[in-house]
Amino acid sequence: MSDQSFYRQAGSYLDSVDVVEVQRGPEPGGVGGAYRAFGETLRGLKTTMSRLIEGPLTIEYPEEKTPVYPRFRGRHKLHRFEDTGLEKCVGCSLCAAACPADCIRVVAAENIPGERVSSGERYAAVYEINLSRCIFCGYCEIACPFDAITMGHDYEMADYDRTNLIFTKEMLLAEPIERTPLKSEGEETKGAL
Amino acid sequence: MSSEKREVTLTIDGREVTAIEGEMLHDAARKGDVEIPVFCYEPKLGAPVGACRMCLVEVEGIPKLQTSCSTPVRDGMVVHTRTDQVKKAQNAVVEFLLVNHPLDCPVCDKGGECPLQDVTQGWGPGKSRVIDEKRHFEKPIELSPLVAIDRERCILCYRCVRFSQEVSEDAQLQLLDRGDRTYVGTFDDRPYVSPFHGNITDLCPVGALTNYTYRFRARPWDIEQAGSVCTLCPSQCNVSFTVRDEKVKRVIVRDNPGVDDGWICDRGRYGFEMFGAAERVTEPRLKGGDKVSYEDAIARAAKGLAARDGKVAALVGDASNEEGFLVGEIVRGALHSPHLDSRPAAGPGIDTILGLARPELQAAVPDIDEADVILVLGTDPMQSSPILDLRIRKAIRRNGARLVVATERPTALDGGAEAIARFAPGQAAHFVGELTAAIGGAENVATPLAESLRDASKVVVVWGERLGPAATAELLNFVDAFDTKNAGTDVDGPKTQDGLEFSAHQHVGLLEVPEVANARGLREAGVLPDAGPGLAALALNGHGTEEIREALIDGSLDGLILVGVDPLRDFADTARWEEALNAASFIVAFSTFTTATAAKADVLFPLETHAEKDGTVTHPDGRLQRVRPAAGRPGDIRPGWQTLSQLSLALGHDTGITSQPTAFAALTAAVPFYASITDKSIGGRGIRWQETESAANLPNSATDAGAASADTQRVSASDEAVPVAGALALGTYRDLWAGPITELNPPLKFLKPSQRLELSPEDAARLSLDSGDTVRVTQGDKSLEATVAIRERVPEGVCFLAEGIAGANANSLLNGHQVSVQIEKLSEVPA
Ligand code: SF4
Ligand code: SF4
Ligand code: SF4
Ligand code: SF4
Ligand code: FES
Repeated sequence: MSDQSFYRQAGSYLDSVDVVEVQRGPEPGGVGGAYRAFGETLRGLKTTMSRLIEGPLTIEYPEEKTPVYPRFRGRHKLHRFEDTGLEKCVGCSLCAAACPADCIRVVAAENIPGERVSSGERYAAVYEINLSRCIFCGYCEIACPFDAITMGHDYEMADYDRTNLIFTKEMLLAEPIERTPLKSEGEETKGAL
Repeated sequence: MSSEKREVTLTIDGREVTAIEGEMLHDAARKGDVEIPVFCYEPKLGAPVGACRMCLVEVEGIPKLQTSCSTPVRDGMVVHTRTDQVKKAQNAVVEFLLVNHPLDCPVCDKGGECPLQDVTQGWGPGKSRVIDEKRHFEKPIELSPLVAIDRERCILCYRCVRFSQEVSEDAQLQLLDRGDRTYVGTFDDRPYVSPFHGNITDLCPVGALTNYTYRFRARPWDIEQAGSVCTLCPSQCNVSFTVRDEKVKRVIVRDNPGVDDGWICDRGRYGFEMFGAAERVTEPRLKGGDKVSYEDAIARAAKGLAARDGKVAALVGDASNEEGFLVGEIVRGALHSPHLDSRPAAGPGIDTILGLARPELQAAVPDIDEADVILVLGTDPMQSSPILDLRIRKAIRRNGARLVVATERPTALDGGAEAIARFAPGQAAHFVGELTAAIGGAENVATPLAESLRDASKVVVVWGERLGPAATAELLNFVDAFDTKNAGTDVDGPKTQDGLEFSAHQHVGLLEVPEVANARGLREAGVLPDAGPGLAALALNGHGTEEIREALIDGSLDGLILVGVDPLRDFADTARWEEALNAASFIVAFSTFTTATAAKADVLFPLETHAEKDGTVTHPDGRLQRVRPAAGRPGDIRPGWQTLSQLSLALGHDTGITSQPTAFAALTAAVPFYASITDKSIGGRGIRWQETESAANLPNSATDAGAASADTQRVSASDEAVPVAGALALGTYRDLWAGPITELNPPLKFLKPSQRLELSPEDAARLSLDSGDTVRVTQGDKSLEATVAIRERVPEGVCFLAEGIAGANANSLLNGHQVSVQIEKLSEVPA
């Protein structure tokens, strides 16, 4: 479309009778005007004043952490059986199949008798999650037939180096260095989370 | 046979479907887009058995449900696949199959590509009522060193057993025991050995049979499937590479009825691990092993070759059509030398090649299915082109074809043959002559064979390049014997679907089993001493393989280009080749692995495997197929066409080839009977050039231009056996498992053959030898050690050794003449 014809079309729109009527508020001035200027301001200030006595609500992150709900989907964890110490993950790759971000990589291998890693025939020789791609949807957790992977509560994963965001099996099996506090039952929201 | 089939119309789930009479309901339903679940039904395995009952459907007028896999269609049939009755039956069958199934999908290699999973999801009840303990077997255990069996997962569909009984006919797999204790196994739990047994892992509809080579390697969503062609033997089976992380993890079939009928052999299936062997040449090297850059290597090669302009020869083996064509360009175009060959030994002259290449004489692989009589002449398909062996067995078993065998050495097909003739090593030409005469009515050794052939209306001759040039030339007379017998009959006979044109009432088709995988393509691309691309006659003929060797020794040739050949292993007369390679002052070699031959190269270039290569190959029946790159090239390997075209350029001869498509275009431009073939027409299935319009461009065999070529280029004058007192005539054969396939490939190492001396019971008795004895086999001043193997069907006076066996290579005893050997016992078989 040439510029000219475009403007011609736009013009014909403006010319049309289809004009939108703008709703305007009351004119300024008068008693109504004074109320609107001060009354509403005072109403707002009331909230501010009443909160003043509560003291500061700022969370001193990172010294202080926001507690999360128990079902918060944070950094993944791989689990071991408590009794045998064997890894629950058998390297079936179902989590990788379920992952919409395609950020899990599993390379399986066969258990050697005497050096068992998992309880099944196979185990995950390589298990990596690329956390810079993960969208924390939790599908991997749902897909896992053995509850071997769950979403943990850790949300502190920022790093200066992307490669550090590829979490290996060892990292995922290890407990996070510092645990994220959990909200206790009925705990009031403090902060924005 | 298919043209007479009537079409019938039936209704399936309310849809009108047209099917061919005799077709099974399941297949008819598929045409109407109605899916019926199956487990045991697999048309490749022959007649349906109705073992699993998964395919039950309701047919109006029949009170009980019918198995759609084994119920032929009838006109006007009304079939329902979704009624409550059918659903109930399907649910029941799935529930029943799962009663004892362990459901260990997460650790099962089939998971994600498992028909049992799919059918359970699609047609199963969704829950189980079984609370009892499931049946248990020890698992997983070795069915063979390559296949693991998990008997708990087996649903007793019989597929694997049928394969063993009716396709590969090794009759090793059985269903043993009864009831829920039934299991698949072999007699006495021996390992299942067969060169085709890997196919059962493709067939098994559950994870009961899985490959050790693919054990836990990947899931279907971790991989890519890349279709290509296996070039480990002339069968050129269509395969699909399973690739993960740029590496081949598995090879599976890619059904092509025109080539492989949906099977591959274990060589093709398990051979992939040698692609990453430590012996792989992964970058250009100089003599001594120094690694150099491509640019440097090409410059050095060009310099060395240019200095020997006109005195360079080339031998080509494992190469694509394009690579062969480029070698021709380099040798003929850039180096002004006519000496190149693609055959391991002397071959027939161009007139014979052209005579045999006539489209009307060419049998396509599917012609075997429809043959009346199959003549296997001078080759053992099991060793040289295994998939043809299965094809011939199928023709005999299912279509009632008759088989006659005429070879030096007993073949794997002898058991099914109606008549067998054995000719002495070196007597092939004589024998083919006798056979021709016998068909004409003469009484001689070949008469029993001729009797089977004489009245057959469709004969397919599967013949081996090993017959030698004289016998190959004789084949043309042999074919004429059939035509003359029917002289005067209708010449414009019917034309089969496959393009085999019948010249008379008897139809004879020839199918060659060559020595190297892409023999036909290389010849047609002009890698012959007496023909250029398109089998065109040359103004100046060059030397063939054996003459090249002699010319190198006497100094009339100086430089040598070797592409995918290993003369020190694969060619006859090892000592003389060693001498020739030492005499050559400059060798440029292209090799996949570091071989003894490659070590002699002044400049060594890597060669791609068929999982990495991009190029076309030509099947012995004329089918052009495309080898497509599936996996990443290890190391610094560059494509063969690229290196060759750059080498040509460095030699001052610009081929204009800058990519695989331009290489292919140059090839089709140079080979007139490939002219109408395009990458698109090759597609995934390949195309036989005989079936294209350019087939008419095949040159006439009459030598109308250029120098007349001698039909025999064999250096020795006579093929006659030289009798030595007490000696046995030596015949050699190529062993399926000799070579890098077992030496460099960990999964197949256990199959590595040792040298066996095969001889007849009579000779063994005369020499007081027993099977298992160690002997020294001596020919002149050369000898090797072998283990005695007495074979009933070896004729008296002859013995056989395998070629290509490291350390005891029969090629080292050969000298171009027919030789006989002395046998000396070294030690008895240990008791
Ligand atoms: S949470 Fe979602 S995106 Fe992240 S790894 Fe799991 S499945 Fe993938
Ligand atoms: S974490 Fe679970 S789903 Fe993922 S591979 Fe391991 S067992 Fe399978
Ligand atoms: S055979 Fe199929 S259904 Fe059975 S365990 Fe394996 S994947 Fe699952
Ligand atoms: S092992 Fe597999 S192919 Fe053989 S009978 Fe059992 S399920 Fe069928
Ligand atoms: S598929 Fe018909 S009975 Fe098995």
